[in-house]
Amino acid sequence: MQYIAPLAKVIEQFRRLPGIGSKTATRLAYHILEMEKDQVRSLAQAILEAKEKIGYCSICFNLTDSDPCQYCRDQGRDGSVVCVVEGPQDVAAMERTREYRGLYHVLHGALSPLDGVGPDELRFKELLMRLQKNNIKEVIMATNPDVEGEATAMYAAKLLRPMGIKVTRIAHGLPIGGELEYADEVTLSKALENRREMY
Amino acid sequence: MNGVTMRIQKIILRKFRNYQDSSILVDKTLNIFIGENAQGKTNILESIHLSSLGRSHRTHDDEDLIHWNYPDSCVEIYFIRGETEHKLAIHLHRIGKRGVFLNDHPIRSYELIGLLNTVIFSPEDLFLIKGTPSGRRRFMDSEISQANPVYFKELLKYNRILMQRNQLLKKIRERSQTADLLETWDEQFAPVAASVVVKRIEALKKLTMLANLIHRRITSNKENLMISYSQHEGLLSENNSSPVINDIKKWFQKQLIEHRQEDIFKGNTGIGPHRDDIVLSVNGINLRNYGSQGQQRTGILALKLAEIEFIKSETGEYPVLLLDDVLSELDSMRRGQLLGYIQDRIQTFITATDAENFVDRKTGKYFTVNNGSVME
Repeated sequence: MQYIAPLAKVIEQFRRLPGIGSKTATRLAYHILEMEKDQVRSLAQAILEAKEKIGYCSICFNLTDSDPCQYCRDQGRDGSVVCVVEGPQDVAAMERTREYRGLYHVLHGALSPLDGVGPDELRFKELLMRLQKNNIKEVIMATNPDVEGEATAMYAAKLLRPMGIKVTRIAHGLPIGGELEYADEVTLSKALENRREMY
Repeated sequence: MNGVTMRIQKIILRKFRNYQDSSILVDKTLNIFIGENAQGKTNILESIHLSSLGRSHRTHDDEDLIHWNYPDSCVEIYFIRGETEHKLAIHLHRIGKRGVFLNDHPIRSYELIGLLNTVIFSPEDLFLIKGTPSGRRRFMDSEISQANPVYFKELLKYNRILMQRNQLLKKIRERSQTADLLETWDEQFAPVAASVVVKRIEALKKLTMLANLIHRRITSNKENLMISYSQHEGLLSENNSSPVINDIKKWFQKQLIEHRQEDIFKGNTGIGPHRDDIVLSVNGINLRNYGSQGQQRTGILALKLAEIEFIKSETGEYPVLLLDDVLSELDSMRRGQLLGYIQDRIQTFITATDAENFVDRKTGKYFTVNNGSVME
């Protein structure tokens, strides 16, 4: 099917976004043509503004519109604990717990030779510098529980332990509110492996 | 029927291979698909194999499975497992990922394994003994995966770690990464490799017992069949027949360090379950090197029948048996042994070019397959 050129251009731009196939891209493009011109303008502006105003925090490399970011600026946070995550979306997830009151460090990925990602492609150097400068006692490795996330956590542990910093790994196990019989075998065996004594 | 048996009730093929829209109601015992070559007999068995193991036994490419005139295809299989009816659907697309549905709910591809258990016996299996180690590993892995879905997930994890490690080895060889990075992958490699090896050895122990019983029956107690796990030298002699997972883990850790320079030089991991093999021997003689063609075929037959019994003993239900063009490859003695074994206990799907071999059969259904259509 041939679309008129400006429409085809919009569809093509949408199609490049993650999770959007050609059908969704076409539907979004038609929807935009149906929208009021003002609405379209504010959508375009919002996207541009976000891109222009948001950058990385120079301390933790989380996304922020002011440097340092809101977490690094916050005096009420515990500066002796740093939680290391793969991406900015993981910071948002940790924040939703409302339990964690320490600082963050965003690596922007995980070790994966297949994708050409080694330690130099991640923000490890910056993490090391941060740990040397500040009085940080514990680093929590909250990378994903897949093989790449595990490798990243192990690498960090090897790197930081000689500095006398405590390195911990978030636990794997059963989801709260889930039912034992519906847990998959691998999760269940991991949970069994990491069982703890009751007091 | 004796005991519980997994069985298929209905197969629906939409735009699958050369089938436009076919609904096939099958018999609970024997289903024989008769037709000339290239009419679509094997395609029916292929659709069952796909629904069981998530892959075709003939192609790696989903596009090959879709009718040449259409963008999408769908296979639906209604089957009984544990006395309960289930519906399995696989949607294949030329563009985009396939969809897998159990009772109309989407499931992940890897969750498919172990739902509908099958054993396939095709002419390629006759070369299992003579063929490459990778063919024998595939046989072993698909059999254990069906009985134990945790094994399948561990295998996937192992393969991922292996691919990452091999890529890293190549980068270290090119000096774009440093060798100390290997530690993070080796630490994950050893426990998963050990777990895969232990599960394989355990499964083979059961399989060899079952296969030998069957083999002795076929050969009138003249021959004893042995299936053993062939591992990198040093592991099994140290640990005898009942290996402890922790010992194997430590053994792998040691080996990975010892072979590090060699691995870097080759850009490849030289040890691990991806290099292991199984050896079949009769009366102590290796079938691969010294067995006659007749002995090899009897060995394969015993192995295949043992595979059926293995899945039954692990899951409680007989799997569905797929015999793809294999009966004409067997002589009348072995054909008789095979059909006699199946009796009416195991639901079986057979493709053949003529009905000659089944003249004395009273049970089951006969289908005529002609250019993408099936008639009873």
